[in-house]
Amino acid sequence: MKALVAPSKMALALAFAAAVAAPSAFADIKVGLNVPLTGFAAADGNSAQIGAKLAVEKANAEGGVNGEKINLIIYDDQASAKEATPVATKLIERDQVVGAVSGSYSAATRPAAQIFQAAEVPYVVAYSIDPSVTRTGDYMFRVSSMGEVQGRGGAKLVHELGKKRVVLITLKNDFGQTLARGFKEAAPKFDLDIVNEYEYDIKDRQFGSLIARVKADNPEVIYASGYYFNAGPLVSQMRAAGITVPIIGQEGYDSEKFIEIAGPAAEGTLLVTSLDRDSDVPVTQEFLKTFRETAGFGADMVGASTYTAMAILIEGLRKTGGKGGAELRDAIAEGTYTMPIGELKFNDLHEVSKDLQVQVVKDGAFHRHSVLHDPELLAPPTKDSK
Amino acid sequence: MLFIELVAQGLVQGSIYALIALGLTLVYGLLRILHIAHAALFTLGGYIGVLTTNATGSLTIACIAAMIGAGIVGVIIYRLCYEPILNQPPFVALIASIGLYIAFEEAFRILFGAAGLTYNAAPLQQQVAIFGSLYFSQAEIMVMASSVAIIAALGYLQSHTRVGIACQATVSDPQMAESFGIRLRTVRDLNFFVGSALAGFAGVWVALLNNLVEPTMGSVPSYKALAIIVLGGMGSVPGTLMASLVLGVTESFGTVYLDRWLDRNAVAFAFLILVLMFRPQGLFARR
Repeated sequence: MKALVAPSKMALALAFAAAVAAPSAFADIKVGLNVPLTGFAAADGNSAQIGAKLAVEKANAEGGVNGEKINLIIYDDQASAKEATPVATKLIERDQVVGAVSGSYSAATRPAAQIFQAAEVPYVVAYSIDPSVTRTGDYMFRVSSMGEVQGRGGAKLVHELGKKRVVLITLKNDFGQTLARGFKEAAPKFDLDIVNEYEYDIKDRQFGSLIARVKADNPEVIYASGYYFNAGPLVSQMRAAGITVPIIGQEGYDSEKFIEIAGPAAEGTLLVTSLDRDSDVPVTQEFLKTFRETAGFGADMVGASTYTAMAILIEGLRKTGGKGGAELRDAIAEGTYTMPIGELKFNDLHEVSKDLQVQVVKDGAFHRHSVLHDPELLAPPTKDSK
Repeated sequence: MLFIELVAQGLVQGSIYALIALGLTLVYGLLRILHIAHAALFTLGGYIGVLTTNATGSLTIACIAAMIGAGIVGVIIYRLCYEPILNQPPFVALIASIGLYIAFEEAFRILFGAAGLTYNAAPLQQQVAIFGSLYFSQAEIMVMASSVAIIAALGYLQSHTRVGIACQATVSDPQMAESFGIRLRTVRDLNFFVGSALAGFAGVWVALLNNLVEPTMGSVPSYKALAIIVLGGMGSVPGTLMASLVLGVTESFGTVYLDRWLDRNAVAFAFLILVLMFRPQGLFARR
């Protein structure tokens, strides 16, 4: 008898149905990344993106997650809260990522964190150091030391240099202000005398008047926060003005661009950071080498921490077989990780506790100066602490 | 001593503002257009300056290249963007200008990278002592000197030469000016060329003082220059110079004594608001 539907059409319909209804074993595992690709922070966003991509490529080359490829979905958030919110929403609702990494500044990460927490999607934060990020909830993870911890490390470094009189130059944003807060908190422990503190705006490149006042203050050491586009001009102008005392920077300086801008003035600048260029840990050296080959410039802190954040997310996914939600959150929380930025383990607030690396600029490159080891001083906050 | 240093730093900064704001005041004085995209020419000048110096080793060639390059692009902007909408209400040109500025910023980022460019071997970095213990870099001295020289020249040109008077005529009465044989288009082209060349020149020096040129370096000057021309009395060249210097010095003191509450730009605009509250026509308005 005649078929109700022509056989060829039936076959086509069946094939179509099969394709659409195919089990997700054929679908990639999707992870999200928000980075500033345009706007004032685009250089950092670019480094972060490269770091994240390296982690994904490495994992996929090793077989992905249980044989399935990891699909990295990247959106530009311009390091702005306004842009980060729709980006986070898109990643969750349209792209349905199982986990995400923040490769952006605190301004963008904070609102995104709220959204990821509400959707119960694990969010591993690379270098945003504002305290409120992990306080947002238990789906948040941070792989960099919190701002205050780094600031306390700075105070300890001043003490180890044998200095007492400090001037603080603080970038007026989350990054700079949390660093300054930590520094000021630890300063009494080392009997430091903070002669003065000056705050400046992220768009400033000319520091003539600030430097005039610092010269009048006559400190023994300067603790100055900023990104490479602030620090480069600042250090260069300070040395040109005849300031010879040590200058201590942080992760914001941790980019070859800083050395390029400041030129010879960069020599001797100290950085409290987490990437040791002279490390003999194989993971670190391999990362440094691959980053340079891929990017064409040396790895910076932003690239290294975003790589780390993505790598940790992937390791969590390997444990859950690609599943997200609470299972992924717990898998990430339990792990111990050997990463380019150190041996990492999360506490109950999902903050990391580790030594801080002090690098110094010597012969136009970053080299190891010392290590700040003080688990008590550098302890991150816990769920119960203030 | 500190006081004098702060004033001196303010004058350096003010000189830079003057170079940028001048171009804007020339355009505003002529066409009543708020030319936000002017700041893009400032950035363009910076890029040309760095690239040319790195390629040729000569800052002089770089300055000339930057001025010519920025001048030409300025005229192109006038012809393509503003001329067609001259008879529209002023906010149309303003919006077009803002859009153009944003486009330029992104173009710089795409063309030259997000991280910016630096001089391979920045010239004029030597410190020179003035009055004993006041130190300036050679670059800072050059900025101040050239700023004053250019403005003096412009002021003279405006009031003592045929070209200058012709420009003024096209503002007061374009039709009458045309009937006297003054070609409006030529005057306007010249105006944009000179104003843009000045911005380009400023860009070279700012890039040198910071050893960094970035795609977004024009973002603050774009609206701050507007504030300056308001402060100086819109369209007045001497007013713009004075306003720039006053603003530079105010910022210099504000950034180190008020820094806990206000950053540099907040200081600048707080100052603007205060002045306008008492003198709405600006500090140095035209008679």
